[in-house]
Amino acid sequence: MNRASLRAAFFAALSILVAGGLVVGLLPNYWVYLITAVFILGIALQSLGIVTGRTGMISLCQMSFAGVGAWTVGYLNFIDFPGGLPLWLLLGGLAALPFGIIIGLPALRLRGINLAIVTLGFASAFDVVLATITYPGQTNFKMVARPAGMEGDVGYFMFVIMIYALIAVVLEFLNRSRLGASWLAVRHSERAAAAHGVSIPTTKLSAFAISAFIAGVAGGLFAGYLGTLVAENFSMMQSLTLFAVATMAGSQFTLGAIIGGVLVSLFPELLRRLNVPQDFGSVIFAAGAVQALSTGESISETFMRLGGKIVPKGLFKRAKAKTHKLPAAKTFAKDVPALQVQDVTVRYGNVVASNKVNLTVPHGKVVGLIGPNGAGKSTLVDAITGFLPDYEGDIRLGDKSLNGVSVTERARLGVRRTWQTTRIAPELQVGEYMRLAAGSDLSDDEVEAVLDWFNCPPANTPIASIDAGTRRLLDVAGIVAARPPVILLDEPAAGQSYAEAVRLGERIRQIPETFGSSVLLIEHDMDLVRSACEEVTVLDFGTVIAHGAPANVLETPIVQKAYLGVDHELEASA
Amino acid sequence: MNALELNKVHIKRGDIPIVHGVDIVAKPGEISVLLGANGAGKTTILEGTSGVIPIASGDIVLEGAQMCKASAGHRARSGIAHVEQGRTIFAEMSTEDNLRVGLHPESGLEQAYDLFPELKTRANVKSAMLSGGEQQMLVIARALLGKPKVVLIDEMSAGLAPVVVARLMQAVRLLADQGLAVLLVEQFANLALDIGDRAYVLRRGEVVYDGSCEILRNDPAMLHHLYLGDMEKDSA
Amino acid sequence: MNSLLTPAMAGLSAGGAYAILGVCAIFTYRLVAVVNFTGAAVGACGAFIMVALVEMGMPLFPAVVLGIAAGALAALFVGFITTIWFSGANGSVKAAVTAALLVGFIALGLRLTGGQHPKRFPDILQGAWLRLADVQITNASIAAIGLAIVLTIAAEQFLNRTRTGLELRALSERPMAAELLGIRVRLLALIVWAIAGAVTAFALMLIAPLRSPDFASLSLLIVPALAAALIGAFKSFRAALFGGLAIGIIEGLASGLVGLNQYRAAIPFIVILLVLLWSQREARWDESR
Repeated sequence: MNRASLRAAFFAALSILVAGGLVVGLLPNYWVYLITAVFILGIALQSLGIVTGRTGMISLCQMSFAGVGAWTVGYLNFIDFPGGLPLWLLLGGLAALPFGIIIGLPALRLRGINLAIVTLGFASAFDVVLATITYPGQTNFKMVARPAGMEGDVGYFMFVIMIYALIAVVLEFLNRSRLGASWLAVRHSERAAAAHGVSIPTTKLSAFAISAFIAGVAGGLFAGYLGTLVAENFSMMQSLTLFAVATMAGSQFTLGAIIGGVLVSLFPELLRRLNVPQDFGSVIFAAGAVQALSTGESISETFMRLGGKIVPKGLFKRAKAKTHKLPAAKTFAKDVPALQVQDVTVRYGNVVASNKVNLTVPHGKVVGLIGPNGAGKSTLVDAITGFLPDYEGDIRLGDKSLNGVSVTERARLGVRRTWQTTRIAPELQVGEYMRLAAGSDLSDDEVEAVLDWFNCPPANTPIASIDAGTRRLLDVAGIVAARPPVILLDEPAAGQSYAEAVRLGERIRQIPETFGSSVLLIEHDMDLVRSACEEVTVLDFGTVIAHGAPANVLETPIVQKAYLGVDHELEASA
Repeated sequence: MNALELNKVHIKRGDIPIVHGVDIVAKPGEISVLLGANGAGKTTILEGTSGVIPIASGDIVLEGAQMCKASAGHRARSGIAHVEQGRTIFAEMSTEDNLRVGLHPESGLEQAYDLFPELKTRANVKSAMLSGGEQQMLVIARALLGKPKVVLIDEMSAGLAPVVVARLMQAVRLLADQGLAVLLVEQFANLALDIGDRAYVLRRGEVVYDGSCEILRNDPAMLHHLYLGDMEKDSA
Repeated sequence: MNSLLTPAMAGLSAGGAYAILGVCAIFTYRLVAVVNFTGAAVGACGAFIMVALVEMGMPLFPAVVLGIAAGALAALFVGFITTIWFSGANGSVKAAVTAALLVGFIALGLRLTGGQHPKRFPDILQGAWLRLADVQITNASIAAIGLAIVLTIAAEQFLNRTRTGLELRALSERPMAAELLGIRVRLLALIVWAIAGAVTAFALMLIAPLRSPDFASLSLLIVPALAAALIGAFKSFRAALFGGLAIGIIEGLASGLVGLNQYRAAIPFIVILLVLLWSQREARWDESR
């Protein structure tokens, strides 16, 4: 649990409680009653923020999860279950949780659109079931009992705001944890997340389960708020509206959740006073959501961006006084090569992309892999990291065969890669990304040291604020900080200036000695290859055509031919 | 008159600048060859020219008309044909259906079959079943049927056997001889220099050589240096 | 025997409607790459405008024609937004856009059509087509099934036989390659939207009298429609046709069984869940992830 999370959590709790105090102190009871709904909806919106805002899966059934929680609370009240509302809320959330998991299952290995369909299906099915079974207590008007001492509107407001603060604080911690970073990583690129050793199914299901739980709690609070419920409170239309508002306001942020709550509960009130039909609000929400989707910026993000302009520049400077110490190098078995690729063949249909390739990355060395476009370099990286599981031959990490091992598992065993195009979630901070990539056992100081070593910005810099070239460096820094036995760097110098490329080459050359990892460097930039590699392997037409020291290999006729084209004699004889 | 002119063109990918102010021309009846190592920015220039990606600054002029604000579709209809790398056939369609997409009312399929008689015998075959060389012929022929003024061809030799490549090069020369302007991107310099008229060599997004193909063809050492050369030694 | 056959036959007309909407969903997904959650809502716009015109005293035929045109216009509105503002966005964002628009459509639709009180829809086709003992098949259900079949065949023929169809196939397979060949990408996309909207509007006019015809219920027919489209893997028109009919028949059968009757509207959800669980068994890493 690091200091940044604690500070953020404390700040969130404090601001919510102060806001609550102001509401109670300054506003008449009617408004306190109305604003209670803002916070209950805020909880429901935060639940949607986890699945849709953070993990990027469209959920159109959030109010159905809330409905499950509300029904459970209603039932427990009906049978006079001991423990009162606080316990019932917990049970309501737990009742919604398995629904979240079942709905999440079809999205584990398929794209997000399918999830939108299955959630809409669930919302419509839930409507039907609820209309049939009705709410417990609906017929005999047994009101849900509020907690003792909090029966009044002000009392219940205090109860709701405490639950809201509790959830906001827990989410603040979760969002800054490795799990929270995994949610964003999965949203941005499942492939990159898996290559960090993140389990995609666990990440998606956890998002859904936690989201359903929180929605269930929000539903329970609604039961206490309204006393008795009808099916319409949790209809599909409510879920759809919640989705539109969450998209418009940016409900993955505490601020966005409150703004959204205000929109849903107070906006119709405003329209009523202006004598405008209240369903006009939904039209505005729809337009607002479309607007947010097209600009890629929700209301809360706009506020934060404008707020960010007030923050003085230079905040993201690394404290110069301290000297940062790099993490200790890891030691791996020296007697076996770090990585061995043995007779690996990859086919796409009839095309052989990689033909009986043999390649060894010896312990403690940097090996270059070069070749013209379409020579099969990326194919080989995909095969080694597990993205193309159907290869023939054997790939060994140390003395262990990787055949049949999943992408996530290979990453955890220590085969790590970077990407040609940046796949880092822009919502993260540099330090959060480093912990996602390198695990949590590094100290803050060691993280800063690695960042400094690669000339990356300090840990508290938002990734959205750094350019693509630096993001690629950060990609490398994260993998190196993890100190795995094998690192595959896929064209790390693309887009770097000449001076930057030379400096990067220098750093790459020092990786084995400094961090203990062995490196396979895929690169087009011959200057970088010369400065970083002790050995190079040349691929052409999916076959290894040369291997040896860089200076020698680049001079061989066969390599020059591969780069410059078919030579004249060959053409004449063909 | 030049068919196509690029003036001081800068192009970025995302926020990485890739191409830094290049000047390139293509003339009717001539082949301009764009050479350079991987990552030098050749494909990026073609994509900026045809409108696949926007350019950051500079001019793209087609027969006197400014093109850099126009959509890719508009540029195509105005006469810039772009044969992308990777043989972008419509794999689910037959050879003939592929040719029919974008067929100009004044062109006929015979034009394609005259250039590549191989395609006629495979007219009704699903294009995914064609060989790599036939697929490359297909996409070149397909671009031709839109009656373009200039054709941009990207890496047509990638992964093809030398005999097939020679056949394609011959066909491209023929197109130029019929009056078309061709801008050819090629990784294999020797092949392109054999058929080309004017050559540009790119390095890190800048033109480091602009001149006749013949000079480069006769000076392999210079070519080798431009391609695989060591920048550190250059600056030293 | 009849106790099963009657409800199954009753389900046929609903099945025909699901099939039509499912085919339209595949049509839009295949050709403009959007999973359109407003698919039924745009049709509902057309259907209700037809009703309004009839109530104002317009004869049935021109009212139907104008209603169909209104459906096409409503679909064009969604099409404009997705093609102009979201041309570069991925499928998930476009789906989110249509889901958000659905909120606006339903709210506006309910307001303009007088809320959840069902409207009286004129029966475009009255009477029974076939009556055998207790089992009767109405003209409307035959029309719905017929339209579904005709539409499936027409969609296939249109794509395979016409020049526009050829360009649309090229567009759906490789949008950039198609644009580089000079195809008018936006115009074609808008044509696809208009066709889908027009067909849906007509389909909803046919089946509205058989359901509870309020705007929200008709809009939410998108759920069984997407279930049918999923059965066709968002690719095969024929599989979606059979899928839609099957869902309708199963619903019909369920309505005949005491105890299941109230839950029959949950069947599309179960179908969606099962189809998705089945279809992800072979899912692999692809570039888009």
